Amino acid sequence: METHQWMINYTRQTEWIDRRGIFLWIAFYTGGLGGGLYLVSLYFNSLWGMLISWLIIAVIKGGTHLAYLGKPTRFWRIVTRPQTSWLARGFIFVMLFVIFGAIQLVLTYWQPGSAAEIVFKALGGIMAFAVALYTGIILKNMKGVPFWNSALLPILFVLCGILGGFGLSVAIALAGGDVNLSAAEMGSRILLVANALVIIIYLLQADHRETVGRQSVIEQLRGHSAPIFWIGIVALGIVIPLTIAFTSLYTEIASGLIIFGVACEIIGGLALRYNVLKVGAYKPLVAKPQ
Amino acid sequence: MRWGMVVDLSKCVRCYACLAACRIEHFLPMGINWPKLVAMDTGGDDPTVSTYSVRCNQCKDAPCVEVCPTGATQQREDGIVSIDQDKCVGCRYCVVACPYQNRTFLSKDKDQGFFPGIIQTDFEKAGKKLYKHQVGTTEKCNFCAERIDAGTAKGLKPGVDREATPACVNTCPARALTFGDLDDPNSEVSRLISEKKGFQLHPEYNTDPSVYFIDGKIGQSDEKKVDDEPQKELKAIGVGD
Repeated sequence: METHQWMINYTRQTEWIDRRGIFLWIAFYTGGLGGGLYLVSLYFNSLWGMLISWLIIAVIKGGTHLAYLGKPTRFWRIVTRPQTSWLARGFIFVMLFVIFGAIQLVLTYWQPGSAAEIVFKALGGIMAFAVALYTGIILKNMKGVPFWNSALLPILFVLCGILGGFGLSVAIALAGGDVNLSAAEMGSRILLVANALVIIIYLLQADHRETVGRQSVIEQLRGHSAPIFWIGIVALGIVIPLTIAFTSLYTEIASGLIIFGVACEIIGGLALRYNVLKVGAYKPLVAKPQ
Repeated sequence: MRWGMVVDLSKCVRCYACLAACRIEHFLPMGINWPKLVAMDTGGDDPTVSTYSVRCNQCKDAPCVEVCPTGATQQREDGIVSIDQDKCVGCRYCVVACPYQNRTFLSKDKDQGFFPGIIQTDFEKAGKKLYKHQVGTTEKCNFCAERIDAGTAKGLKPGVDREATPACVNTCPARALTFGDLDDPNSEVSRLISEKKGFQLHPEYNTDPSVYFIDGKIGQSDEKKVDDEPQKELKAIGVGD
């Protein structure tokens, strides 16, 4: 007789991370990254940043999300239930961002400073924020996975997206783009510290969120997902970029090293989403008596 | 009217007939089971084996209905949560959202046939015509809604008349499964729930499942001791998923 592990053990969710779930992981991350970069680009009024963020969301996020679907040709049906489904709302946010963003890019290129440009920048900004936010809300609302049940999760995802946005802005500045390098570096420093703090608070909270929440934290810190947490999130995502960012305050740093720091930030963001999805575990359906 | 089921844990003999009946009734692909069965000992000095036969709980406040972005998952007036395979996009939001993990995404590897690449049996050929399972969509137990609909159209009563009753209930040799109307206080299911203190799995989710269990010898608490160590095996999904 074989036992269904999921009935009597903590079992992690697999559909949204294993096998083709990898596409969804990338879609979730690039949604945050693209949204964050667009917001940062609005701040710097960087056309290059806006264009890149539009491409990230329209091509990479849209493409990977589409590739994940079991029936991709029916994707248009996703918009039909926005009254209750955050996935439907998210799809609408993405579509509206793609439309508003395209119009805004055209207006910024040919009619900079016009009233229409300002309106579409505002609309694009709202949609970019929504795109960065909604994946966190989707996870937060999952009843069966206590590790995700925190209002901090959407905040963490948005912060992580904006952090990636500042990182890419630094890269755009180094490439001679229309971004103020020192301001982008300062933004990165602040966001790196904020991100690290939110991650710590999130894990401390999750540790006390039912026994299965604690199990997820243990899995992340000491289990199979520990290498990704310590190397991907902590070392590459926080420590290395933070060291480079603060060193640049006092001494001149080679642009190659700064680009390396930006790449580490992106890898850290990817690792964060990966682990959040990977260690999300369900309670056992029934429990053996102790 | 709200259809529900009562599983008598003390009567189940672990014969797997409910799984077989469901497979035959719905021509299920080899890789999936709609109902599932787990047996385990109750522990302690005098351990006995108890069995949980689980399936979609047809929750009154079903998270899967709420999250479905296409409306493929709907709740009928009789409480049955059904999936329209033609509307499902395979986003698997419902699979992740179901706190009972009772939904299955039908991927290609779960639908390879009984003898992959060799022969398709007559049973499979008939199944492909009669009950279309679409790879790339989500599936789950539907309380044999087609039997209920056909039976009630003839004036039969689900849970009483076999023709209108779910296949697993009909086939259970130990009569561990009982089906009926939860809204009818005189129905067999309502009587069993009130007399034998029927309980639902994880009531804290506030989903109000329509499947009740009685005479459980296994602790109803979901809390397990955390030993501060990562689990050696934190794998999801057992056989049949």
